Amino acid sequence: MLQYRMNSVIGILTGAVWQGTGFAFIWVVMHTFPSLAGWGLAEIAFLYGLRLTAHGVAMIPLMALHNIEFLVREGEFDRYLLRPLNPLVQVLGNRLGLAQVGDLLVGVALLVVAGQSTGIEWGPWPLIVCVVAIVSGALIEGAFFLALCSLSLRLLDTYALRSFVDEAFSTFGSYPLKIFGSVVEWLLTYVLPVAFVAYVPASVVLGKLDGTWALAGPVLGVILMALGYQVWRGQLKHYQSVGS
Amino acid sequence: MIRVEGLSKVFRRPRTFSGPFGTVRTLFTRQYEEKLAVDDVSFEIDEGEIVGYLGPNGAGKSTTIKMLTGILTPTGGSIEVNGLVPWRERTANARNVGVVFGQRSQLWWDLPLIESLRLVGALYDVRHFDKALSKVREILGLDGFLDTPVRQLSLGQRMRGDLAAAVLYEPPLLYLDEPTVGLDVLAKEAVREFIVETNRSGRTTVMLTTHDLADVEALCKRIILIDHGKVLFDGAIDALVNQPRRLVVELESGTRTYDIHDDLPGMVATIAAEHTIRDLSIVEPDLESVIKGIYAR
Repeated sequence: MLQYRMNSVIGILTGAVWQGTGFAFIWVVMHTFPSLAGWGLAEIAFLYGLRLTAHGVAMIPLMALHNIEFLVREGEFDRYLLRPLNPLVQVLGNRLGLAQVGDLLVGVALLVVAGQSTGIEWGPWPLIVCVVAIVSGALIEGAFFLALCSLSLRLLDTYALRSFVDEAFSTFGSYPLKIFGSVVEWLLTYVLPVAFVAYVPASVVLGKLDGTWALAGPVLGVILMALGYQVWRGQLKHYQSVGS
Repeated sequence: MIRVEGLSKVFRRPRTFSGPFGTVRTLFTRQYEEKLAVDDVSFEIDEGEIVGYLGPNGAGKSTTIKMLTGILTPTGGSIEVNGLVPWRERTANARNVGVVFGQRSQLWWDLPLIESLRLVGALYDVRHFDKALSKVREILGLDGFLDTPVRQLSLGQRMRGDLAAAVLYEPPLLYLDEPTVGLDVLAKEAVREFIVETNRSGRTTVMLTTHDLADVEALCKRIILIDHGKVLFDGAIDALVNQPRRLVVELESGTRTYDIHDDLPGMVATIAAEHTIRDLSIVEPDLESVIKGIYAR
């Protein structure tokens, strides 16, 4: 993939610019309203960075799953099943998500800058919470992405469903959920657990929520990823291949 | 080597409607169309056999092969290949079998053939790659195009490359799905020779699907014939083609055919005594007409 250097650079830059404009929007809003649901600009920036970093960590390896419909439709997936290697590994090995490297860079930059202006007392504990939150956030988002992509093994086209969930994660996950009202907050906590990607851990680090809540993310992340992989395996059994 | 019992595969898809609002109805329907692609198929293949698996288009041949290789999960029945259940132990099974789909290359499109073969070597843990390669490159005559990217190979070269990839790790079992499709006479000959050679030297079991009956006559002692997902015949070709030769005589009153039993000159003499013979020919029983007869039933 890195054989095409120019393409790689442009891909990473596009990702970074795209996310940069996303954050610029918040910046503009925060100029008008200094605080949203009790969160200041630096705090929201921190939350945004946390979610973006988790997103990057999840999608850099998983991005190749976006191609799964194509692989199934072209009969390419049959080849993977004939080889003595887990087909999921073979799909993921096709390519890395380069634009998501851009996401990761912007996310980490936001975390570093915002982390210094929020007044968090940085020590081992908040750092650990952050790292764990990034990994478990990546597991949560990755689990949904994996499960939805595996549906393509049977249904072929699941693009609409996938972009809906992706939008939910990126649109709602990047802000304090309180601003959307209690119904949405409840839905995004217990139905589609977007809250545990960044909102909950950021609240813990910023001292808005009790420290025990930091445990919820990793537990949920591991369970969901295990379930996501089971969905993949289940759908694999229903794989119908193509004619000829 | 292969044991298949009561194997069946049902493909299910939502029923499609036509007419006004047909698309909308299709979207919301709970009704499914079921297609029985393979229906209660049973057979056994022993080590070292070359078996032709034949049938018209859409008979269920490829579906069977895909279940045997673990690509598809059977709807019913059981499969055991070399003691493994393919769809459940797919990766273990993959190490035991080589597969060539004539219609679709297993090689990496953008890589030179040699790199594709190296990758196969790495995937299947081939320990002495150079030795394994030198074995196949000679029989298949790969030397002229080892460094050519696969996408630039001619069909005959590509097929030889595919065969090389399938046998590089010396699997005890080969599935060949139309390995001679679209090849010229010489290339076909080369592929057949290679199959015979692999089967003889390595005791490799071969299951072959093809529409070219010359392949079958050159390679297989036994065939399994299927149509509409069911086995129609399973046995030696000799038994299938074991019919008398026939005498076709053109008379003034029209053409007649007689089965030849023993005394051919006597038969001709008898006919000549009664009619005026314009022309005559002898028809050997052949696989093609026998199989045509079976398909047409």
